[in-house]
Amino acid sequence: MKTRTIALLVSMLALGGTAHGFDLGKALEERLNQELNKSSQPAPKAEPATQPGTATSPAKQKIDVNQLGFALFGDYTPEQESRIGKQVSGDLLGAVPLVRDDKLQRYVNQVGNWVALQSGSKGLAWRFGVLDTEDINAFAAPGGYVFVTKGLYRRLNNEAELAGVLGHEIAHVTQRHHLKVLKQSSLIGALGQVAGSKAKSSDQAVQNLIGNGAEMMARGLDKQAEYEADRIGMVYAARAGYTPWGLPDVLQDLAGLPAKDERTSLLYKTHPHPADRLTALGESVGGQFDALQGKDLAKRFYRIP
Amino acid sequence: MMKPNTIPAALLLLMATTSAALAASGTVLRTDKIYSQPSATASVAGSAAKGASVTVLAKQGGWLRVTSGKTSGWMRLLSVRVGAGGLGGSGLGDVVGAATTKSDPSRVVAVAGLRGLNEEDLKKASFNAEELARLDKWTMTPAQGRSFAGQAGLVAVKLPLLVEPKPAQAPASPSTWEVN
Repeated sequence: MKTRTIALLVSMLALGGTAHGFDLGKALEERLNQELNKSSQPAPKAEPATQPGTATSPAKQKIDVNQLGFALFGDYTPEQESRIGKQVSGDLLGAVPLVRDDKLQRYVNQVGNWVALQSGSKGLAWRFGVLDTEDINAFAAPGGYVFVTKGLYRRLNNEAELAGVLGHEIAHVTQRHHLKVLKQSSLIGALGQVAGSKAKSSDQAVQNLIGNGAEMMARGLDKQAEYEADRIGMVYAARAGYTPWGLPDVLQDLAGLPAKDERTSLLYKTHPHPADRLTALGESVGGQFDALQGKDLAKRFYRIP
Repeated sequence: MMKPNTIPAALLLLMATTSAALAASGTVLRTDKIYSQPSATASVAGSAAKGASVTVLAKQGGWLRVTSGKTSGWMRLLSVRVGAGGLGGSGLGDVVGAATTKSDPSRVVAVAGLRGLNEEDLKKASFNAEELARLDKWTMTPAQGRSFAGQAGLVAVKLPLLVEPKPAQAPASPSTWEVN
């Protein structure tokens, strides 16, 4: 009952356009306006399944307040997470294809699956991919999708460093960081509708709700989510038997890159500075890993020809 | 070709240390002790304050061999930033403009001759079902993951998650915890 009341309040604020100082309402308002603008333009692709048509007032948007309450405060089922992740990943892959190297892709999946096993998360179908770009970055999407760019992969020196990078992204998935962002910005205001409907076009509906998934990657997460993923990722890699210093070594390397390197512009736009990440990790780690004897497996590390 | 077991242990240790030899500048990220050996149980040779410059000589696991003024010894890897650039985003000057310009979403990434991903690429992207389907080829079972780990002698370790540092100790990032 309480959630419904809050949801109603949120939607009223948004619809009324008086959402000053209330982020959630404002975000919803923005999203609704965006939808309206979209419908008044000739859309280059996919028109929403629930045709907004020539709607001129936000009130005509088909957002069910009860469903909104669910979407904002409820949890997603593994199936819903997977659907969202699929959509986001498909969009990302539309911007950057996978490296055509089966050995590389299989190797990254092997390491990734082993590290992901340490999270104890069940019901996630992990999929790892190396993206064919010199950009230096890594991405995750709900449901178990993890991507590393070729540019970042090339900088790695051993399997422990790869495990650390993958651990960070796996943590984004297990902590459901992107789903939290989706909720906060209420892009999924009507996910309940999608979840409830068995319509054939449900994937299309997911797409409409999350907007462009690749764009979501460009917006990034908040700093606290990144620091948390560093802390958890480091532990996942260490639990997997690797030296815990893989991720810190990668961060040291990134910190040493020229400030204006275009290959890191998106990374720096969406992540705290590597030096800040090292500092934050240092505060948490202290001497806790002093006794760990993990492997770095430099020999087994697959190097891109 | 020498057999590995004929190499004296001391030499092995030396190799392990020098194989990661560096000669780089560094900046102390957080005030910390300098130990005489890469171990927190070793004697303390001194300490270095946040922001201080050090010379990084070598790396070994979670430790860096540094020289700070007249003091030489080992500092924790996470207490020092290797390379130039100072304290980074939170510290002296903004060496990475992009890192702290989150408030400027219109920042245009230059295009000529650059190979980085930019927001425009991502915004324009359209769903690629074919590439997505390729991912399915490499999925594996937990058993396959365990087998892969076993081949290299990786053994799972029980380890608790790290606790979030107290706000007072967190790196200065006013946008995330002072404003609220």
